[in-house]
Amino acid sequence: MSPMPDCRLPAGGLIDRNITLNFSFDGIAMQCYSGDTLASALLANGQHLVARSLKYHHPRGIVSAGLEEPSALVTVTDQYGSTPNLKVTEVVMRDGLTVTSQNNHPSLKRDYGRFLKLGGSALSAGFYYKTFLWPKQAWHKYFAPIIRNLAGQGRVDPTPDHAYYDKRRKFCDVLVIGSGPAGCAAALTAAQGGATTILIEQDHILGGSLLYTQDSIDGLNATDWAADTSEALHALSNVTVMTRTLAFGQYDHGLIQAIETGKDGDINRAIMWKIRARKIILATGAIERPVVFPGNDKPGIMLANAVCQYIRRFAVSPGTRAVVAVAAEEDRLRAIAAMQDAGIEIAAILSPGDQIISATGRLHVNAVTWKNDKGQRQRTKCDLVVMSAGWMPTAHIFAQMGEKLTFHAETQSFLPSLPEQSHHHIDPVGGARGVLHMDACLADGKASAHDAMADFNMHKHLDLPRPAVAPAPIQGFERGKGKAFIDFQNDVTTADIALAQREGYGHIELTKRYTTLGMGTDQGKTSWTNGLLEMLSISDMEAAEIGHTTYRPPYSPVSIGALVGTETGQQMTPIRHTPFHKGFADLGCVFQTSGDWLYSRYFPQPDETMAAAIKREALAVRNSLGCVDMSTLGKIDIYGADAMLFLSRLYCNDFSTLKTGKLRYVLMLREDGYVLDDGTISRLGEHHFHLTITTANAGKVWQYLKKAAMVDWPELDVTLTSVSDQWASLAIAGPYARDLLSALKPDFDVSPAGLPFASVRIGHLDGYPVRVFGVSFSGELSYEINIPSGYADALLSMVMEHGKAWNITPYGLETLDVLRIEKGHLSIGTEIDGRRTADDLGLGKMLSRKKDFVGRALSQRPAMIAGGRQQLIGLISEQDEPIPHAAHLSDTELDQNGCAESLGYLTASIYSPVMDHYIALGFLKNGRQRVGDTVWAHSPIAGQSIRLKVTSSCFYDPEGGRYRG
Amino acid sequence: MLLITCPHCGPRDESEFSYGGARRIWPDHDANPDQTETAMLDWHQTLYLSPNPSGPLTEIWYHGGGCECWVEIIRNTKDHSISNRQKGRAS
Repeated sequence: MSPMPDCRLPAGGLIDRNITLNFSFDGIAMQCYSGDTLASALLANGQHLVARSLKYHHPRGIVSAGLEEPSALVTVTDQYGSTPNLKVTEVVMRDGLTVTSQNNHPSLKRDYGRFLKLGGSALSAGFYYKTFLWPKQAWHKYFAPIIRNLAGQGRVDPTPDHAYYDKRRKFCDVLVIGSGPAGCAAALTAAQGGATTILIEQDHILGGSLLYTQDSIDGLNATDWAADTSEALHALSNVTVMTRTLAFGQYDHGLIQAIETGKDGDINRAIMWKIRARKIILATGAIERPVVFPGNDKPGIMLANAVCQYIRRFAVSPGTRAVVAVAAEEDRLRAIAAMQDAGIEIAAILSPGDQIISATGRLHVNAVTWKNDKGQRQRTKCDLVVMSAGWMPTAHIFAQMGEKLTFHAETQSFLPSLPEQSHHHIDPVGGARGVLHMDACLADGKASAHDAMADFNMHKHLDLPRPAVAPAPIQGFERGKGKAFIDFQNDVTTADIALAQREGYGHIELTKRYTTLGMGTDQGKTSWTNGLLEMLSISDMEAAEIGHTTYRPPYSPVSIGALVGTETGQQMTPIRHTPFHKGFADLGCVFQTSGDWLYSRYFPQPDETMAAAIKREALAVRNSLGCVDMSTLGKIDIYGADAMLFLSRLYCNDFSTLKTGKLRYVLMLREDGYVLDDGTISRLGEHHFHLTITTANAGKVWQYLKKAAMVDWPELDVTLTSVSDQWASLAIAGPYARDLLSALKPDFDVSPAGLPFASVRIGHLDGYPVRVFGVSFSGELSYEINIPSGYADALLSMVMEHGKAWNITPYGLETLDVLRIEKGHLSIGTEIDGRRTADDLGLGKMLSRKKDFVGRALSQRPAMIAGGRQQLIGLISEQDEPIPHAAHLSDTELDQNGCAESLGYLTASIYSPVMDHYIALGFLKNGRQRVGDTVWAHSPIAGQSIRLKVTSSCFYDPEGGRYRG
Repeated sequence: MLLITCPHCGPRDESEFSYGGARRIWPDHDANPDQTETAMLDWHQTLYLSPNPSGPLTEIWYHGGGCECWVEIIRNTKDHSISNRQKGRAS
C-alpha cells in the first residue's frame, strides 16, 4: 500500500499541531491533530472516498463541513463500542478511534453493489411499489433477502452499552442556539443587559462561520474576535456556555432539548438537557445549497463554505486543481481566495448561466465538462469541484412547533416569520432567517437580544432595526442530461422527482415518500430546497402551494442512551423498604419486589424449600401465632366536620352508625360502577377517621381522594393527610394473638369485651404509642399494630421476644396469600381487576340503598345487573391433584380442535396446608348457583384438563368464629 | 412539554404532573337518590362524553411531583397556551 498523500497545509488553522492523534480508517492507520474533526482528519490523509451510497452504491466523499453532511456516514468504534451512521463532520477527533466505512461489499473501492446501476430503471422512484409485485412468492424468497443485504447503512452494535448517561435541567431568560456572529452578538448583548443567558453550540469551540473567515470585526480579525467573545462569555457570571451541545428539538412553552456529548475523561458519555427559556434566540445559521448537475455526487465535489472551512480552520487542502461553480459572487471570491492561499490551482471559474454537462471520474472527480454562455463546450481536468447555489436558513427548530415556513422568492428559500405575538418563544436571527452578511448577522443578534429585554421589561434596551434578508444569486447554473442528484443520502435524482410528478405523487408529502427525498438520517438538510425548485420547474404549482413537509425533532440524530439517561436496570424505579426491612432481614427473610416495594416473601429455615416454609408458616398462624408486615398498606388520616359525609359519598356501603373506636370493611366503586378498591375505615373521633387502602392502589386512591376533596366537593370541610410512611404496621395473627397483645404491656383493655373484633384502640404498648386495629385478613384472631415508623425495630423485637412463648412465626407475602385464599378474601389485581361489580364478588349486599355514592347510578346499568355474569366461587380438586394456574372453566371437555366454551377462569390456585388439599378461587358464569356442580378446568399452557368441584369462595371457617376470638 | 403554573409551587414542568382529564361536573350526588333513567343518562353523559374542543378546555392536573394538589387550568388545545382558572385548594 502506498503512503497516503499528506494534504495538511504547512501552517495555520485552529488545530494543535503539538498533539497528534491516532486513528484508523478501514484498517489503515492514520494521524491527525487535536482540533480536527473526522472529516478534516480524513481529508488531511487524502481520503476523499469514505462511503457508498444507499441505493446505487455510488462512491461518495465529504460534501460539507457541518451537520448537514448527507454522504459521508461511517461507523466509529471507541471504548464504549461502535456507533453507526455518524457523519464524519460531527465527530470531534480523539485518540484511538477505529473508523469503518459502510454499505459496501466487499470494500469501498470494489463494491459489487455498483452493478445495481446497470439495472437502471428498476431502482427509480417507487420501485418498491412496482417491481416486486410478481411472482407472489418471489419477494420473500428472493428479492427481500438481497435488498435487505444491500440496503441500509451501518449496523447497530448489539452489545450492551456500559457508558453512563444523564438527564439534567436548566432555566434561563435567554437561550441562544448557535455561536456564529448572530449568536455571539445576541448572547453578549443579553448577558450585558443582565439577562441570565445560556449559549449552546454544537461544535467544540465557539465561533461558527467566524472560524473560517478573513473578515474583521471592530478592526479585529473575526476569528480572534470569536475567541475574545468566547472568553468574555465564559467570564460573565450570568452566562452558561455549553459547547458540544446539540439543540435537537423545540417543545411547548420555551422548552429546548439538547444533547451534550462528553469529552474524553468525562463521566457521562452524553447528557440530555431540558432547558426552559423565556426567550429562545435561534442563531443556527444557514446551509449551503448544492448545485444539481450530472455526476454531482462524486468524491471531490464540495460545498464552497466547506472548502473554505477545511483550508482556513483545519489547514487541510481538499484538492490541487479546482473548478469553481459558485453562484453568488461574494461566496465565489471567498472560496477562490481561500484556495489561492492554500496553493490550489484554479482550473476554471464557471459563470452563473453556464450549463454544467457532467462531472466524470470513477472513484474521484477527474474532469468537468460545461458549456459557457456563448454555447462553447469546454472540459478541464480537476480533482476538486467547489459548488454553491445559494443558502437555505437552518430554521428547523423554529418549524418543529408546527409553525409553517413561507417560501420567499427573493431568497429562493423557506423563511421563518418574525414573531409578532408575545407568546412566541423563539426568534430566528442571522442565517436562520436569511440574513447572510457578517455585519448584518451581528446587528440582527444584537437587535433580537434587545427585543427579548423589551419583552422582559428590562430597563436597558433599545429598539434596533432588524437587518434585511440577503437575496439569492440572480442566476444559477444550467445542467445537462444525466443522473443529477438532489438527495445524496437517499440517491434521489431529478428524474425521480419528475417521475413522481408524472405518476400523480405531486403533493409534497407524497413526493417525499414516493422518492424518499429527505427521508435519510440527514432529513434532507441539503436537498429540500433543490427538491422544491425541481418540482417548481416541472409543475404548474406555486411555491406557496407546494409548501414543505413537517419538521419534527430531532434536528439531527441523537444518542438513544442519553434519551434513556440513568433509568436502566436497577435504576428504573426507586426501591422502597418497609420500616421492618432490616428486622426481617435479620430473621432470615427472603424478599421479593411488589410494585416499588421490596416485600417479605417467606422466612425459610436452614435447608427448607419455599413450599415447606409456606406450609409451616401457614399452620403456625392457624394453630398458634404468626406476624406479618402490613406497612405497605396506604394509610390516610381524614379530619373535618364533613369527614363522615365525604367518606359516605366515596364508599358504597352504609357505615353511618359507625361509633368512635370501631372500624368497618368498606368497598369503593369507580364512577362507572365497577369495584375500585376495598379497605377499612376506623373512626378515631367524632370528625377523625383512619382509612386503609390496598398496597397496589395506595397511590391511585390517594390521588382520587384528593380529587374528590379538592375538585368535586370543595365545599366539604375535610382535610386529608397521607400517613402511609409515618406508621409502621405489624399484624399479629393466630389463636394466641390476644395473649401476646396482653404480654406487650398495653395500657388499655384488650379483653374480648374491651377490644372486640372490628374495633380500634389508641394507647401504648410498654410505653410506645400505638394504634391497635382488630382486623383480620388471615381469618384468625388478629391485630394490626401501628407504631410510628421510627419505633418499628422496637415493636418487632418486643413481639418476637414475647411471642416466643407461642413459637411466634414471622410470615411473608406467600403465606399471606395462602391464608386469604383459604378465606376467600379479595386481592386487588387478581379478583378485583377493574371488570368486576360488587355482586360479581359476592358483595352485592354492601351497596347501600339509603344513600348516594360514587358509582351508584352507573352500577345499575342493565348489563351490570343482568343475569349470567361471572361470579366469584371456590373450587376444589376432585382427585386432590394440583390445580393449574389461570385455567379456564368449562362444562365440556376439549373437542378435537382443543377448544371448549369458556365459562370463567381461575384467579388463584394453591395447596391449602390447613385443609391439606388443593383449592382455587375463580369466576364462573352464574357461579353461586352452581355450588356443588363439577366443571372442567382446562389449561392449554400446562397441557392439563382436570375436574373441579364448585364450592363457596370461603373454604375455611365460613362462620367466622375464629377471627372473633 | 407544558409549563404549568401551580398555585402553590409556581411554574413547574409538565413531568411533575399527571393528567386528570377535562374538568367534569358530576350530577348532584345527594339530590337524586332514586335510580332513574335520567340519573343514569346524566352520569353516562358526564363520564363518557367528555368535551374535546378545539380551543379552550378546562382540565385538571395532579401535582404529584410537588404539593400533591389538583390544579385546574384552561388549556387552549390549539396552541397549548394556558391560563390558570382558580387557586388550588389545599386539602
